[in-house]
Amino acid sequence: MIRDRLREVSGQIIAIAVALILGAIIILLVGESPVRVLMTLLRGAFGDQEKIAGTLLQTTPILICGVAACIGLRGGMFNVGIEGQLFLGGFAAAWVGFAFALPPGIHMLAALALAVVAGAAWVAIPAYFRARYNTNEVVSTILSNYVAVLLTSYFTIFLFKRPGGWSETPPILATAYLPELFSFSRLNWGLVIGLVLALGAALIFRYTSWGYGVTMVGSAPKFAEYGGVNVKRQGFVVLLLSGAVGGLAGGIETLGVHHRFMEGFAPGFGFDGLIAALLANGSPVATIFTALFFGALRSGSLLLEVDTSASREIITVIQALIILSVSAQVLVKRRGDSQAGERRWKF
Amino acid sequence: MVSNALGSPTLHMKAEMAVALTGITKRFGAFVANNAIDLAVRRGEIHAIIGENGAGKTTLMNILFGLLQPDEGSIRLNGEETVVTDPAVAIKAGLGMVHQHFKLVPSLSVADNVFLGMEIRRHGLIDHAAQIARTRELSKRFGLQVDPTERVGLLSVGIEQRIEILKVLVRGARTIILDEPTAVLTPQESRELFQTLRSFVAEGMTVIFISHHLEEVMEVSDTVTVLRNGKKVATRPTAELSKDELVRMMVGREVSFDRRPRAPSRGDVVLQVEDLWARDDRRLPALRNVSFTVRSGEVVGIAGVAGNGQTELAEVLSGLRPASHGAARLKGQNLAALSPREIREAGLAHVPGDRMVRGVDRNASIAANMLMGRQHRAPWSSSGVLNWTAISENASRLIKDFDIRAQGPGDAVKRLSGGNIQKVVLAREFTNGADFLLIDQPTRGVDIGAQEAIHDEIMRQRAAGRAILLISVQLDELAALADRILVMFNGRIMGEVAGDGADEDRIGMMMAGVAAPERAAEPA
Repeated sequence: MIRDRLREVSGQIIAIAVALILGAIIILLVGESPVRVLMTLLRGAFGDQEKIAGTLLQTTPILICGVAACIGLRGGMFNVGIEGQLFLGGFAAAWVGFAFALPPGIHMLAALALAVVAGAAWVAIPAYFRARYNTNEVVSTILSNYVAVLLTSYFTIFLFKRPGGWSETPPILATAYLPELFSFSRLNWGLVIGLVLALGAALIFRYTSWGYGVTMVGSAPKFAEYGGVNVKRQGFVVLLLSGAVGGLAGGIETLGVHHRFMEGFAPGFGFDGLIAALLANGSPVATIFTALFFGALRSGSLLLEVDTSASREIITVIQALIILSVSAQVLVKRRGDSQAGERRWKF
Repeated sequence: MVSNALGSPTLHMKAEMAVALTGITKRFGAFVANNAIDLAVRRGEIHAIIGENGAGKTTLMNILFGLLQPDEGSIRLNGEETVVTDPAVAIKAGLGMVHQHFKLVPSLSVADNVFLGMEIRRHGLIDHAAQIARTRELSKRFGLQVDPTERVGLLSVGIEQRIEILKVLVRGARTIILDEPTAVLTPQESRELFQTLRSFVAEGMTVIFISHHLEEVMEVSDTVTVLRNGKKVATRPTAELSKDELVRMMVGREVSFDRRPRAPSRGDVVLQVEDLWARDDRRLPALRNVSFTVRSGEVVGIAGVAGNGQTELAEVLSGLRPASHGAARLKGQNLAALSPREIREAGLAHVPGDRMVRGVDRNASIAANMLMGRQHRAPWSSSGVLNWTAISENASRLIKDFDIRAQGPGDAVKRLSGGNIQKVVLAREFTNGADFLLIDQPTRGVDIGAQEAIHDEIMRQRAAGRAILLISVQLDELAALADRILVMFNGRIMGEVAGDGADEDRIGMMMAGVAAPERAAEPA
């Protein structure tokens, strides 16, 4: 058991190491010192308490989206539509925030609740087609992203645009704000919600009958079916929950950080969350750390263009390298154990 | 290349033997898939290779075609010693293989698929007209009716197989290997395929035909080679063989009647199956008019060559496949109205034939595997929360009771041997308090020692008053354990024999579908 764990973790660490080494070579090629870039990244991510808070602020949506992805992965469902669910959740929360006047606290909870509903409703379409007609949820959820992003843009620009402003909705009322944790940063209760979600998901998968059934659907569907688990229904439910958490991530981002919905308000958080979950091998607790890693990369990169001659895009390159080396590692594993490989990468 | 599309006969006509394999041995880990197999296929014959699932037929053909490398032995193609390093070598030597699973591009036309990778070119562009004409000519010549211009995605499986055969022909094959070609065909399509195979040998080509269906082997082949458990049993001219002789060679001549002692213990009817019909994955009838009962305290055996409806019967009884007609009742409850989970709750325990896929999650621990099917029940859970202490303790106890060789309940199932994995399944299923045990191939791939232990356990369950339906392709297993044996052929129950009077010849005849002796009257 423990040896298995170690081998799994060491695989992920090797994957990250390979990516960083390749990244270093690329940094050398653009004529910058990898050590300097690394130090700048570290300083940008953890240099002082404000920087650390900034990193945690970036980590929050990645973590919540990562938990959303983990829920899907556990049940064998690849929800690649978290980005879209995040956008719709973000818009739904903003709409409750600016269109209604409610008592403090209740207003915020109502906005988050609608974000959850919006995310779940948005994934319900691909989930239904998956359960009813066995369509590949990877394709349908990817495609649903484009519709979601453009739909929220349409809402923002044509229906709810703030007069005279950019492509954004009116600001939400202060009664719907997610409280901030510190005075020196916009870091808010969203981080706490994310941590609770990650731990809660881990506990539910491990310690409930339902979680056991879902885990078996994900890792050995024929076995689960044989044992009396309704594979189709659990697949549907898992996607719905995954979408709900994706919507919540958007709501938290709107209520905690931006206090309005803007076109393109959270670019790539959904995808970063999915990658963080994959790097964590579908474990919600491990996703806390991988999300922190990606959050640090994002936040550290802000300083990169100021202090070095490297472009901020180098971070995107490193992320891509990590994805490549993680998937290569899965392919290597597949030789010994094809079932596990196919489960995670069943395109 | 294309002018050579049907091979150059002169080049390959020298030797009388199209294919000669000598002493082929192939091991996968500790498992010997092929054990010192000799095989000689004469030019111009239809040579059937018959054997049960797992007898080593496909492995042998994959070695011949260069998809696998033998650990020992040599291959002669057209009289010449050849090391078949990969399929390209085999194709060059005039071999062609039609696999069980087709590899066609659905969006391309028939002709484009046939010539994929070796397109006829004119001025550097694909000459579609020539490809279509050539495909049409070949299809006419060998009775392989296809429309070369049709898109493959729109065609039936039977026609896809014709396209695969055309692909092989176009690549110059003179010796054609077909791996279970009729498994995907309707009876009508099978007859048409046999016509085509005969037209091949009429042109001096050679056909190697893998099957586990006796009828078609008898109908179409000139020579039969029987494999069993990775070894060759015999090669004989088909004309000299009778069907039941063939069955006996396939399932094992040595049927040992090492019958377990037992006390009579028949009780109430637990399972009642009446006029049950079901379809297989191809939507063809797989179960026809099946009726029988299983009482508590008795073991009812289902005998038959694999693929005669046993799998479908097990799936219908466990709720994994719908019945198209008729009813199965478990303690009076109609199974058709219940989900798999409800059937389990109504009193089914199921040891599945496909152990690795259906029976366990290989990556999960023994404890997690032993939880399946009871995760909603006390003491394993209460109000939906699992009690891992109880689960783990129970797993430890079962590991001890069933003599499972493992370090502990946390061990991953994939670390265990086949026999021990099967014991994990048995331990789980036999201890969940069900009245009806559906046991499918309990000892397939299990070593002798574990076989004994599994048989002992089944007899203990019988003594405890369980109703047991035992499906097995091993006659000796049925003879040892069953009180009554029902013989299945082509989805029907051909007849019934009492376990203590199990007559090998009579069962063999029924397994071959030759005769249906009157069913023994059921004692009151």
